[in-house]
Amino acid sequence: MILRMAWRNAWRNPRRTGILVVAVAVGIAGTLLTMALNYGMIFQMVETAIATELGHLQVHARGFDANPELAVRLSDGGRRELSKLEALDGVRAVARRVRGEGLLSSPRASAGVRVIGIEPEREARITRIADSITAGSYLDGVGRRALVGEELAARLEVGVGDKVVLSVQDLSGELTGEALRIGGLFVTPSRQLDASTVYLRLDDGQSLLGLGESVSEIVALADRRSRVPALRDHLAADLGDAAEVRSWEELQPVLVYLIEVFDQSAFIVYGAVFVAMAFGIANVLLMTVYERTREIGILRAIGLGRRQLVGAIVLESLLVTIVGLGLGFVAAIGGVAWLGDGLDLSYFAEGLGKYGVASRIVPVLRTGDFTAPVGVAVVTAVLASTWPAWRAVRLRPADAVRKS
Amino acid sequence: MTDGGAILEARGVTKVYETRGVETHALNGVDLEIGEGEFTALSGPSGSGKTTLLNLFGALDEPTRGEIHLDGESLAHLGAAALSDLRLRKLGFVFQAYNLIPVLSAIENIEFVMVLQGVSAGKRRARAEDLLREVDLEGLGGKRPLEMSGGQQQRVAVARAIASHPRIVLADEPTANLDSETAARLLDLMERLNADRGVTFLFSTHDPLVMDRARRNVRLKDGRVVADEAKTAA
Repeated sequence: MILRMAWRNAWRNPRRTGILVVAVAVGIAGTLLTMALNYGMIFQMVETAIATELGHLQVHARGFDANPELAVRLSDGGRRELSKLEALDGVRAVARRVRGEGLLSSPRASAGVRVIGIEPEREARITRIADSITAGSYLDGVGRRALVGEELAARLEVGVGDKVVLSVQDLSGELTGEALRIGGLFVTPSRQLDASTVYLRLDDGQSLLGLGESVSEIVALADRRSRVPALRDHLAADLGDAAEVRSWEELQPVLVYLIEVFDQSAFIVYGAVFVAMAFGIANVLLMTVYERTREIGILRAIGLGRRQLVGAIVLESLLVTIVGLGLGFVAAIGGVAWLGDGLDLSYFAEGLGKYGVASRIVPVLRTGDFTAPVGVAVVTAVLASTWPAWRAVRLRPADAVRKS
Repeated sequence: MTDGGAILEARGVTKVYETRGVETHALNGVDLEIGEGEFTALSGPSGSGKTTLLNLFGALDEPTRGEIHLDGESLAHLGAAALSDLRLRKLGFVFQAYNLIPVLSAIENIEFVMVLQGVSAGKRRARAEDLLREVDLEGLGGKRPLEMSGGQQQRVAVARAIASHPRIVLADEPTANLDSETAARLLDLMERLNADRGVTFLFSTHDPLVMDRARRNVRLKDGRVVADEAKTAA
């Protein structure tokens, strides 16, 4: 009955309550949408990093993390590590790579590049390079072909079929080079990758870098990202001290840090929104207490205790907040659905590309994103109603019932 | 002066209001007993102390000096929670107007005190329906106060006041906002409840109709009891 009374009381002045509900809803929806776009951007950075280079797990020879040199390599073509990875339940794809650095020269220009030798078929199951080809073709059986980003190609003023020379320092320290033809051009959301990476076939890379059968790393993709920590631990234990196994989070800790920063900043944003909301609620409830002084007196006279009176006022505040919260959630979910194809930020594409973010950001709302505002809103509603409730319980019943 | 044992008793009660340093003596050493089964009117001119005394009897206010006793127990040392509980269990109230909670229907208004008493939903609904019948408002339980006439609202207020089986119903000018015919019907109802159910009523009033119907008239003037007359049965 007290709940029913609180609900009906809340809507005695529909316009006033409506304005408050809309204010709460707009605040919540705006915050959730902003957070959804932020998380969408960060998750895109993570996805881009995973899908263009990192994979979920990487295996290197011990010492590679501290000193990523050619000499720190997996011998025997990494077959031992490869077979263990392939045997693991939850690993979807595995590929080997060689890595080095070099100088890519055309007749007109040169550029410092990262050289990555890949197994084309295996790599295509892990990263999206094969799907990012915009001209020419992906690496196939033909040797001495190179894939470069469109940006790098533009800098070197070369196109598909043109000849370039890739110079590197090989394993023995000798400067060496190879003439290659541009087999294809690619565009990814990562500007860094597009501007400074050359992909070769694995055997071409091994040959050029003088690595023989050795590889620099093995990259793996799990069937679910949530399985990565367990896979990582299992593999690390299995491979022992000979190898380093690192997850994408360890390979790119800045991405994890970014997610944590946004998680924490969400609370600051919610706090700011709800402090503003608290003043609105307190104001409305104070007016309510003033307008209903006589009623409060009668309720006290017929036996409503102070605690019950406080409870009724807090309940009224909670109900208004919950309605606002619900509408805000619906609006936020609607907004995310409306932006389902992503928010087009192509005007900022160049800047976003530096951080591995595509020009179209798809907002991401997680179930957990709804729990924080609920918690903060409930606390706010209770705190905002304490002042009006305090005013109400301080009313002397004899005075209150006389109020006209 | 009482029909049975004393339910309410004022012993040397004085009430002084102070506003901006100016003291107003609303009551000056009032001694009065209200017995079980009485139908008593407190009358007197405006400012004589009727409502103040009713508020003190109703544990809505505290005397400056003197003591109020309910069923022989002094209210002087009871805290706010105990006084709320006492009002809920032993006292019923009918005020002059706007007695009811506007967002609750008539039957919900009657049920409300039983909700506070912890009566189960089924029992309180049945009792509220009985009471509505008793105050001749059967079928109007779903109406909100604003959809009812002043007389009907006061009848609901009477039903609510007796819903908790109080020891006494305190009625502050219950007929003040009613026309004489409606007031007479309301008094008929309260007389019937007094006679049939033994409900004790104490009115503050300056309505001659109420004074005429009351079996005992206590007249106040300048905060003192100046007359206390019981009518003999016809």
